[in-house]
Amino acid sequence: MRIYRPRIAAFVWLLGLLALGIAGSRVLTADWLETGFLALLPATEQQPEIAQAVRRHNELINGKIICLTGAGSAPQAIAYAGQLKERFKQSGLFKDIRLQVDQQDFAKRYQQLFAYRYQLLDAQTRGMLLAQPEALIGRNLEMLYSPLGQLEAANLERDPLLLFSRYFTAQNPGRFTLEQGVVLVQDGGRFWALLIADMADNKLHLDNLDVLRELMNGAQGRIEAAGGELLATGMPLFTAEGSHSAQREIAIVSIGSTLGILLLLLTFRSARPLLLSCLGIAASTFAALVVSIMVFGKIHILTLVFGASLIGVGIDYALHYFCSSFSSENWTPAKGLQYILLGITLDLGTSLVSYASLGVAPFPLLQEIAFFSVIGLISAWATVVLLFPLLLTGFKPAHKPAMLRLTNYWQQHWPAWLLRNWIWIAPVVIVAVAGGLWQLTPRDDVRLLQSASTERLAADQKIRQLLPVRADSQFFLVSGKDPQDWHRNEQALLARLETLKQQGAMETYDGLSRYWPDPDTQRDNYHLLKRTFYEAGLLRRYMAELGFDEQAIAAEQQRFKAAENSRISLAEWLDSADEARKMHWLGCDANRCVSTVSLTGIKNLAALSQLNDLQGVRWVDQATQLSSLFERYRTSASTLLIAAYGIVMIGLGLKFGWRNALMIISVPVFATAVSLSMLGWFDQLFSLFNLFALLLVLGIGVDYGIFFFLAEDERSSTSLAVTLSAITTLLSFGLLAVSSTAIVHAFGFTVAAGILTALLLAPLVGKQTR
Amino acid sequence: MIYLKALVLFLLTVNVCMADELLDQINARLTKATITRGAFEQTKQLKVLRKPLISNGTFIYHKSRGIAWKTLSPVPSLLLISDTRLWTEHGEQPVPAAFGKVFQAMLGADLSQLSTAFDINGTVRKIAWQVSLVPKDEMMKKVISRMQLSGDHELRELEIFESNGNSSILHFQNIIHPERLTAGEEADFAHLSP
Repeated sequence: MRIYRPRIAAFVWLLGLLALGIAGSRVLTADWLETGFLALLPATEQQPEIAQAVRRHNELINGKIICLTGAGSAPQAIAYAGQLKERFKQSGLFKDIRLQVDQQDFAKRYQQLFAYRYQLLDAQTRGMLLAQPEALIGRNLEMLYSPLGQLEAANLERDPLLLFSRYFTAQNPGRFTLEQGVVLVQDGGRFWALLIADMADNKLHLDNLDVLRELMNGAQGRIEAAGGELLATGMPLFTAEGSHSAQREIAIVSIGSTLGILLLLLTFRSARPLLLSCLGIAASTFAALVVSIMVFGKIHILTLVFGASLIGVGIDYALHYFCSSFSSENWTPAKGLQYILLGITLDLGTSLVSYASLGVAPFPLLQEIAFFSVIGLISAWATVVLLFPLLLTGFKPAHKPAMLRLTNYWQQHWPAWLLRNWIWIAPVVIVAVAGGLWQLTPRDDVRLLQSASTERLAADQKIRQLLPVRADSQFFLVSGKDPQDWHRNEQALLARLETLKQQGAMETYDGLSRYWPDPDTQRDNYHLLKRTFYEAGLLRRYMAELGFDEQAIAAEQQRFKAAENSRISLAEWLDSADEARKMHWLGCDANRCVSTVSLTGIKNLAALSQLNDLQGVRWVDQATQLSSLFERYRTSASTLLIAAYGIVMIGLGLKFGWRNALMIISVPVFATAVSLSMLGWFDQLFSLFNLFALLLVLGIGVDYGIFFFLAEDERSSTSLAVTLSAITTLLSFGLLAVSSTAIVHAFGFTVAAGILTALLLAPLVGKQTR
Repeated sequence: MIYLKALVLFLLTVNVCMADELLDQINARLTKATITRGAFEQTKQLKVLRKPLISNGTFIYHKSRGIAWKTLSPVPSLLLISDTRLWTEHGEQPVPAAFGKVFQAMLGADLSQLSTAFDINGTVRKIAWQVSLVPKDEMMKKVISRMQLSGDHELRELEIFESNGNSSILHFQNIIHPERLTAGEEADFAHLSP
C-alpha cells in the first residue's frame, strides 16, 4: 500500500508556499524591519514615549557630518574648506552645507529677538540686577571704554543698558574666531576651518553611503596632497565604514559559499542537489520571515541575522537525503526518505526544543529569534519531506565520488586511532579545555559592535578636542505636560547641571530654557528692570552721565513702557534660533512637550545618571544601557542553553535509552566546551552573540550524533553527509571569523571551533555497537 | 619757481606707493622688539552721546604672548588679547572678526600681515609715516569702515572710523622696550595660557 504520494505532497507544499506568498505580499510591503535598540528591552521596561523621543533625536543627528580642514594659515584652511564645500555640493548628497555664517540670517535673527530685549535677560545680567544693579553700570562702562567695544556700542542708542548685546553674546560663548564668515579654530600653529553638512537621506541608504565614502576619501587625498589636513566625523561616516566592511565580508562569505557549491557539484555531478538546497533555504527563510512578521508585527534586524543563521541546520536535512543515494544500488527517492525520515524528524525535534527554549526569557529579541528559527526549521523539514521526493525523481548518481571514499576511510580509521590513543589524548584535551574555560571572560560593551577604523576614531577624538561637539548618545530628555511645566523641569535640571559643571562632571551643558525664559520669567525680567533701573532713576543717572541728552532718555523710557506686555513665544524664539539650538527641541504633542539637554566633555557618568530622579527628567545613555542589556541577554541565554541541553537529553533518553542519549549528546557538549575554551585561549569576545553560535553548534552537533547513531551499515554515506554539512557550514558561517566587526567575528569563530570539534567526534558515536 | 622746487622736493621725499612695498617701508622704520610698553589715551566719539568717552591707561605688548590692555580711568579694567583669545575679568569672549590679530599687528609693529585683510594706502616720509586701512572682509566692513595709523619709529596714533559714524582716536606715549615682563605682567598673561 502506498500511503505516500509525492505529487500530492508536493501539491500541499506548493499550496503552503502560495499562502505564504499572499501573506508575504501584504506584510512585506509594510514597514517591517526594526533597528532601534530600545525595541530590544523587555516589554515592561519599554517606555514608548521615551523611545519615540530618542528616535526623533537620532533622526536629527543621523545625517550630520562635521569637518575641519587644517592648514598652517587661516586663508589656506578656509580655501580647503571651500574646495570641500564645492565637492559636497556637486555630489548632491547633502541638503544643507554650512561653511560661511549666513549674514542675512544672522541679522534677521538679531532683529527678531532685539524687540524682546527687556524680556530676554541672560543669567549673568539677571544675577547682577538682583544683587547689585550698580554693577551693571560698571560693566557697561568697561565695555564701552574698551578698545574693542564697537559691536556692543553699535546699538547704544536703542539699547543704552546693552541688555541685548549681553544676551546675544551669552548665546554664543566659546572662543572661535570668524574670518571671511567662516568659523576658525586654532590649535598650536594650526588653523582649522569648520564645515557642517547634513545628508539629504538621513536613513543612510547603502548606495548613498558608498558615494559618501568615495567622496570623503577623494577629498582627503586631495587636501592631503596639497599639504592640508581633513578631519571628519558623524554618524554617516561611521555607518559608511561599517557597511563597507560588511560588504567586504559578504564578499568573503560568498567566495566560501561558491567553494561549497563547487564541492556539492563535484560530489554529486549534478546541479539538482545544489538547486534543491538553495530552494530549501530560500523557502524556509521566507516562511520564517513572513510568519514572524505576521505574529510580531515588526522584527528586529538582529532577529533576521541570527535567526537566518540558526536555520542553517536545515540544509543538513537536504544533505542527508542526497547522500543516502550513495548508500545502496537500488535507491529511490521514496526509500531514501524512509531511511532519513526518523533521523531528520528526531533532529528537528531536538533543534525545535533547543531553539524554542530561547523564547522563555522575557527578552523580545530572544523570543523573536526562537520563533523565527522554529518556523524556519519546520519549513526546511517540510520542504525536504514534501517537495524533494517529487523533485528527486530519477535522481541516481551512478558514480562513487572520491569524496565518499575519503570520508569512508576517515570514519573507519579515525575513531579506531582515537580509541587506541585515548590514554594520553584524554588528559591533554581535558587540561587544554579546562585551561581555556578558566580564561574565558564575558565582554558586553556595545561599542564592540562598531567597526570603525582607528583613523576614523582618531579624527573623531581630535574634533572633540577642538570643538565642543555634543555627545550623541548621552543626553537628558526633559518633558513636561505643557511648555510651562517643561520649562520648570528643565530649569531645575540646568540648575543641578551648573553645580555639577563646577565640580567638573562635564565641560558644558546646553538646553533651550537657558535662552528662552517662559512667559512668567519674561514678566519677572521686565519688572526686575523696571524696579532697579527704569523707575528708580538709575537709568536717568546712568544715561545722563554717559552723555545722552534729555530727549534720548525720554525716548528710552517710552520704548521701555511700550514693551511692557510683549512676550516672545517658544515657537517664535525657535524660529530665530540657530540649527544647533533647534535640535534640542523635540516638540509638543497632545500630552507632553519634550526637549533634550546636551552635554560636552562628559567626565562623570555616575553623577549625571543620578539626575534621572528629577521631575520629568530622563538620563539617556544609549551605549551603557545597551551594554547592560546585552549582559542581561547573555546571562539569560546561557541559562536557556543549559536548559536546552537538559531537554534534548531527556528526549533522546526516552527514545534511545540513557546510555545512547549520553553518547549522542556528548558530541555537542564537547564541541561547545572546546569552542568556549578556544574563545578563552585566543582572548576572543564572549557575549550574547556567541551563545547563538553555540545554539547552532548544539543543533548541528546533535544532528551528527543522531545520524551516526542511526547509520548502522550505512556509515559511509552518513559520513559523507556529515562532512559535507560541516564543510558547507564552515565555508559559510565559519568564514565570518575573518570579519573586522567584533561580534560577527566572534560568531564565526565560535561556530568554526564547535563544528570542527563535532565533526571530529561524531564518528565515535555508534562505533562500539558494531 | 619756488613752488616747483618745493614740489620736486616733496615728490623725492614722499613715496606714494601700494600695499606690500609700503608696509615694508614702514616696517623698516619701526623699532623691532619683543616687548613694547607704553601709555595710551583713548577718545571715543559716539554719535548718540554729546560728549566723548575719554579713558587712559597702560598697555604692554609681548610678541608671543599677546597684549594686556589696562584701563586705569575712569573705570579700571584689564583686557587680554592674543590672536585667538580674548580675556576679560568677566570671562572669555569670542574675538571680534579678525580684530585681535589686527590689534596685535599694529602694536607689535609687524604690519606685513595686514595686507591680506585690508586694502592699504598711505604715505611714507623720511621718518614719519601714515597709512590707512580699509577692511576686505565684508563682515568686518559692516563694523569698521577705515582705520588710520601714523607714527615714526613707533606707532603714535590710531584712528578707527566705524561704519555707523562712531570713531575712536588712540594716542600712544612713553613707549619703551624693556627686556622682560614684570611679575605682575607675567601674572596677567597667565590668564591667556590654556
